[in-house]
Amino acid sequence: MSEDKNKQVSRRQFLNYTLTGVGGFMAAGMLAPMVRFAIDPVLQPEAGGDFVSAEIAEEDITTEPQRVTFKVEQVDAWYESTVEKVAWVYKQEDGSIIALDPTCTHLGCIVGWDSNEDHPDHFYCPCHGGLYTKDGVNVPNTPPTAPLSVYEQKIENGILYLGKSIPREEA
Amino acid sequence: MHRGKGMKFVGDSRVRENDDRHIPKDYSEYPGRTEPFWPNFLLKEWLAGAVFLVGFLCLTVAAPAPLEKMADPSTPGYIPLPDWYFLFLYQLLKYPFASGDYVVIGTVVIPGLAFGGLLLAPFLDRGPERRPTRRPVATSLMLIAIVAVFFLTWEASSHVDWETRAEQNKIVEDVEIDKESEGYQVYSDQSCMSCHGENLEGVSGPSLIGTEHSADEIKDIAKNGIGSMPAGQFEGSDEELQKLADFIAGLGEE
Amino acid sequence: MLQKIYDWIDERVDITPIWRDIADHEVPEHVNPAHHFSAFVYCFGGLTFFVTVIQILSGMFLTMYYVPDIENAWNSVFYLQQEVAHGQIVRGMHHWGASVVIVMLFLHTLRVFFQGAYKKPRELNWIVGVLLFFVMLALGLTGYLLPWDNKALFATEVTLQIAESVPFIGEDLKILLAGDPHIVGAQTLTRFFAIHVFFLPAALFVLMAVHFIMIRRQGISGPL
Repeated sequence: MSEDKNKQVSRRQFLNYTLTGVGGFMAAGMLAPMVRFAIDPVLQPEAGGDFVSAEIAEEDITTEPQRVTFKVEQVDAWYESTVEKVAWVYKQEDGSIIALDPTCTHLGCIVGWDSNEDHPDHFYCPCHGGLYTKDGVNVPNTPPTAPLSVYEQKIENGILYLGKSIPREEA
Repeated sequence: MHRGKGMKFVGDSRVRENDDRHIPKDYSEYPGRTEPFWPNFLLKEWLAGAVFLVGFLCLTVAAPAPLEKMADPSTPGYIPLPDWYFLFLYQLLKYPFASGDYVVIGTVVIPGLAFGGLLLAPFLDRGPERRPTRRPVATSLMLIAIVAVFFLTWEASSHVDWETRAEQNKIVEDVEIDKESEGYQVYSDQSCMSCHGENLEGVSGPSLIGTEHSADEIKDIAKNGIGSMPAGQFEGSDEELQKLADFIAGLGEE
Repeated sequence: MLQKIYDWIDERVDITPIWRDIADHEVPEHVNPAHHFSAFVYCFGGLTFFVTVIQILSGMFLTMYYVPDIENAWNSVFYLQQEVAHGQIVRGMHHWGASVVIVMLFLHTLRVFFQGAYKKPRELNWIVGVLLFFVMLALGLTGYLLPWDNKALFATEVTLQIAESVPFIGEDLKILLAGDPHIVGAQTLTRFFAIHVFFLPAALFVLMAVHFIMIRRQGISGPL
C-alpha cells in the first residue's frame, strides 16, 4: 500500500499539477501579448538613411574643421520633426572631404574642435575629457575607445550632402 | 515534519495549533523598560516626523525644484550631469581603469560587485558576532565603500562650475532678435557669436538675453572680460561698442 | 460611538488579531530614544517610510497636471510649478523628497549593517531591503527624465549609453528602455513614465509589504 502511494499520483497532487498548469496558461496568455508589445522596438528593422544637403559649398570647405549644421527629417514614432545635426567638416590633406560626427564615442556627449585651451587642435569632450586628433581618432589614455563616427557624404552640384553616421573601428 | 493523526488546526485553516515557531521573542527577555507601540511609542515617532516635515516643507519653499530649458538635443556644449546620488558612478567612469576599453568595469563589474556584495552580505558575513568591532572585515569593507562613494561624489561636484551652469541653463523668455539692427551687426562682426550664439542664446558662454548688467557694465565686460571670458574680445570703435551695449541691454526688457 | 463601530466590525471579521499584529505590541527599551538618545538611529527606517508616503502622494497629485509627451511635458511642469497654487511646493516635495529618501535609505542601511542586524534569522529581510534600495534608485533615475528639460535629456542619454555598455544584451537593453535605437524622444519619455509611475511603484509596494510583515514576524533585533 505504501509503495503504491509513492508511485501513483494522488488525487491531491494531480489537482495541484493541473492547477499549476492552468495558472501557467492564464499567466502566459495574459503576458504574451503584453511582452511582445513592450519589446516591439527591439525587433524593429533598422531603416536606411537618406542624404541631406548640408548647405555648404565645396569650395567653402577649408582644411580647418568647420561646424556645419544640417537638418534631418526624423520620425520618432507618432512624432515627425526636423532635427538639427552637427558635423565638423574639413578637407583632408589629399583634398578629400571628411565630415565627423561630434558624438563622443565614450558616452555620447558632444565634442568641440579646439574648444579647450589646454588641448588646442583637438576635438575635446567636456564630459570626461575625451580627446580626438583632427582626423577624429581617439587619443590613447583618454576615455573614448573608438574614433569619431563619420557621416556618409557626397558632393552634388558643388554642394555637400551628408547621410548616415557610420561608426569606425579602432584605428 | 509532524504528520498524521492528532494534528490540530486553527479553525478550518491549515495553520497548526500550538505552532510556536513564529511567535517573536518576548521583549521581557531584553533588559530595561518596554513601552506599548500604540500609542506611546508611535506618538514619539510622529513627533520626530512632524519636526522633520516642518524642516522638509521649509526646504521646498526656500529652494524651488530646478527646471532647466526645454530639452533640445542640439544644445551645443551641454555637459550632462546626473542627480547627485549618481555622481559617484559618473565620476568613476572618468578614470582610465573604468573607461575606454574597460568601460565594462565601470558600468557593470564594480557596481555589480558592490551591489551583489551588499545583497549577499548576510551570507558572506555569517559569524554570530554583531558588534562592528568584532567583524573587522565586514566593517572595514563597508567603511572603504563609504569613503569611496563620498570621495567620488566630492570629486565629481568639485569639477562642476555650478554657477555658470545655472546661468547657462536658466529658462529664457523667447525674444525676437532684430537681426537687421545696428547692434546686431556689431554683435555678428565681433567674435561674440562664437561663444554667445547666433541668437544670443548662449553656447559656451552664458545667454545674453535679459542680462542683469547695465549698458555701461556691458561695455566694460566686452573690453576687459569677466569670469572665464578673456579681455580684449571687442575690437571696434567706441561708437560700435555703444551700439552693442545698448542692443544687448535692451533685450528682454519689457 | 467609535468603540461601537469597532465592535460591530470585529464581530463580523475579527479584526482584533490584525490590529494586535500591527499596533499592539511592546517596544523594547534599546530602540527608544526617550531612554537612550543614541537610539535615534532607529528612526531612519520610519522616516524613509514617511518620505516614501510623501513621494507617493505628491506623485499622484503631480499626474493631475503632468503630460508624458515631448511637446507638452516641459510645458506642463512649467505650468504646474508657476501657475498652479502651491505647485512649487508639491513639485518641490517630490523633487527634494527623492533626494531625502535616498539619504534616509542610506542611513537606515548603514544602521542595519553596522549593528549586524541582518544576521540570522533576518537575512531575507536584508535582501528585500537592498532590493528596495535598488528600486528607489531606479525610481530616481526614471523620474529624472520626466520634466523633459535639458538636464533630463542629456543625463538620460548617458544612462542609455551605460546600459548599452553591458556585454551581450546591452544593445537590446538600451532599445528596450529608449523605445528607439537612436532617438531619445517620445517613446523614451512614455516608457520612462510607465516604469516610473506603474512598474516600479508596484514592485516597491510588494517589497515594502514583505519588509514590514517580516519585521512584525521576526521582531526588532536585540541590543548589541
